[in-house]
Amino acid sequence: MNIPVDMILSLVLLSVLFSFGSSRLPGLIKVLAFQGVIVSIVPLVIGHDLTTGGVLFTLITLIIRGIVIPLCIYLAIKKVAIRREVEPIVGYHASLLAGLGLIVAAVVVSHRFEVPSSSASVLLLPTAIALLMAGMFLLMARRNAIAMVLGYIMMENGIYLVGTTFSVRALHIVEFGILLDVLAGVMIMAVILQNIKQTFDDVDTALLRTLKE
Amino acid sequence: MVELVFLIPFITGVVAFFLPRSIGRPLLVFTGAMHLLLSILLWLRKPEPLFQAYFAITPEGMLSLLVISLLFFLISIYTVGYLKASDIKAENIFIGSMLLFLSTMTMVTLSDHIMVMWIAIEATTLASAPLIYTHRTAVSLEATWKYVLICSVGIAMALLGSVLITIAMDVGQVDAPVSFSALTVVATRLDPMWLKAGFAFILVGYGTKMGLAPMHTWLPDAHSEAPSPVSALLSGVLLNCAYLGIFKTNKIMVAAGLEDFSGLILMGFGLASILAAGTFILKQTEYKRLLAYSSIENMGIIAFGTGVGGLGAYGAILCLIHHSLIKSSLFLTSGNILLGYGSRLIENTGNMVNRMPKTFVAFFSGFVAISGLPPFGIFIGELFVIMGAFKAGHYTGATILILSLCVIFAGFANQAMKISFNTSETTVGLKEKANLVWPQYALLSTSLVLCFWIPDILYRTIMNAVTSVGGGF
Repeated sequence: MNIPVDMILSLVLLSVLFSFGSSRLPGLIKVLAFQGVIVSIVPLVIGHDLTTGGVLFTLITLIIRGIVIPLCIYLAIKKVAIRREVEPIVGYHASLLAGLGLIVAAVVVSHRFEVPSSSASVLLLPTAIALLMAGMFLLMARRNAIAMVLGYIMMENGIYLVGTTFSVRALHIVEFGILLDVLAGVMIMAVILQNIKQTFDDVDTALLRTLKE
Repeated sequence: MVELVFLIPFITGVVAFFLPRSIGRPLLVFTGAMHLLLSILLWLRKPEPLFQAYFAITPEGMLSLLVISLLFFLISIYTVGYLKASDIKAENIFIGSMLLFLSTMTMVTLSDHIMVMWIAIEATTLASAPLIYTHRTAVSLEATWKYVLICSVGIAMALLGSVLITIAMDVGQVDAPVSFSALTVVATRLDPMWLKAGFAFILVGYGTKMGLAPMHTWLPDAHSEAPSPVSALLSGVLLNCAYLGIFKTNKIMVAAGLEDFSGLILMGFGLASILAAGTFILKQTEYKRLLAYSSIENMGIIAFGTGVGGLGAYGAILCLIHHSLIKSSLFLTSGNILLGYGSRLIENTGNMVNRMPKTFVAFFSGFVAISGLPPFGIFIGELFVIMGAFKAGHYTGATILILSLCVIFAGFANQAMKISFNTSETTVGLKEKANLVWPQYALLSTSLVLCFWIPDILYRTIMNAVTSVGGGF
């Protein structure tokens, strides 16, 4: 049982609900930044990583996940002056309800698994699963291309939470490579977003449907 | 220094971003030639990698490496001619991305660490995204967006799968490096439930990249919107790289005695892809999309064969090699058709036998080869897959496979006849220069030769790769 970790993880769960109910993109980006920060410091707080390399790596992760990635998306929005709603396919109230159901499902599912390091924190696995599913939900339930990219980042955060906390043997250099890939991916997506905005004058993915059978 | 093979294209790729086109084009061909030379050296010498925790020389990796090298070299020669005939802005970005793409794909073939494999495969997506957006049109932007988003999300699933495999190590209390080769050795001690979950996620993840149905939706768009040399690379080697990730994970599954489980899902996804391809090929109106769906079909056959095991696995590897050779030649030929007729629609083409006779030879023999007719290699590969399926008792699967192949052949033949022999009003504005047809001839004749005679070293490497997934005679 680890009270402080569970407390900050419960905040992450709340932020998932907030992101489902939020209609404005800047708010959504702030939620992502918050999740990025929490997700990067959890491995350090849980405690099996208190070496110089571990602390340094946590710091780098925190900077990239908590600051650089959200900033990339924020700048992309600002540069081409996109200030619109997230254009939901599933409405906000229904989304909130789905979010609640999703968190409950994550808790129920995670109790069925027996993972060696789950004793460290009760909420760790539920939060990771909830983040993963929430990211997928945003990908499916929002038409706005930026909201979809944010959903992808949320998913990545969830996977990161599963990854570093459960497998003790992960090497920092490899983790760093993964982080770099994600960062480069988000940057490329940001460039594509700007191009989409310039070409179509909107980021509604309903416009991106000419190619189909 | 095994790592040089991907470091050289990486460095030249970065440099190429800052070079004018007069230097960029020769650099592309030069790097292709260097890469081919180094790959052959690797085959003959088999040196040890510098970072053995992350990279290893494996038979399946060496096969893919040789295919990548040969294809890239020939495609780079074609690209020079293609760039002269077409109008592409920002050529330095195009050539730089091509070289980075080569570098990342080479890294996939050499990587042994599970996470390094993931990093390399995700990097191939990122390096190839600018290539698909080369023409700077609204539709190519849409194709790029779909490609990057669907593949990134898919590959994120593979990352989760890789993490689950490390959990399988934790639960089974195995202390070994997280590399495919080490895990294959200790496979029986891994926790079977987590291993199965890991395999399923990896198959879905890399399967997205490989173009298995129902995650294939990005593939026809990306292949049709990209410039033809890029389509040839995407179809000929990128799909193989994703398959390599699945193949190596399947190796662990076979070593752990879970081949029934992995075989069943592989066969399921394989048949789904073949059926999906069959449905869409019949009513296709664009020739590049037609070729893309044919790639999905072939990937389906390869996944099916790998799942069957035994003879089927041997057939799958043969299909993999020959599909790369033939499909890349077909995509290069489609570049000529596009340059000649200026349209992607089949109805705007026609009478190619008289308009572009050299291209016609490449196109029609490519069509014969990809349909699985002798004397080309896919015929033997498919034959082995079907024989393997019957031998293993998968009668329903084999029947579906044979029927779908017939339907696909009929659909493809119909369209190929239209392109080749229909009457056409349009004038053709392409001079068939040597470097626009000879790369295709070289690829097709390689497939032809390999059908009758496989060099001993190649045969042994294929057998080594196949026996590790429970295949062979």
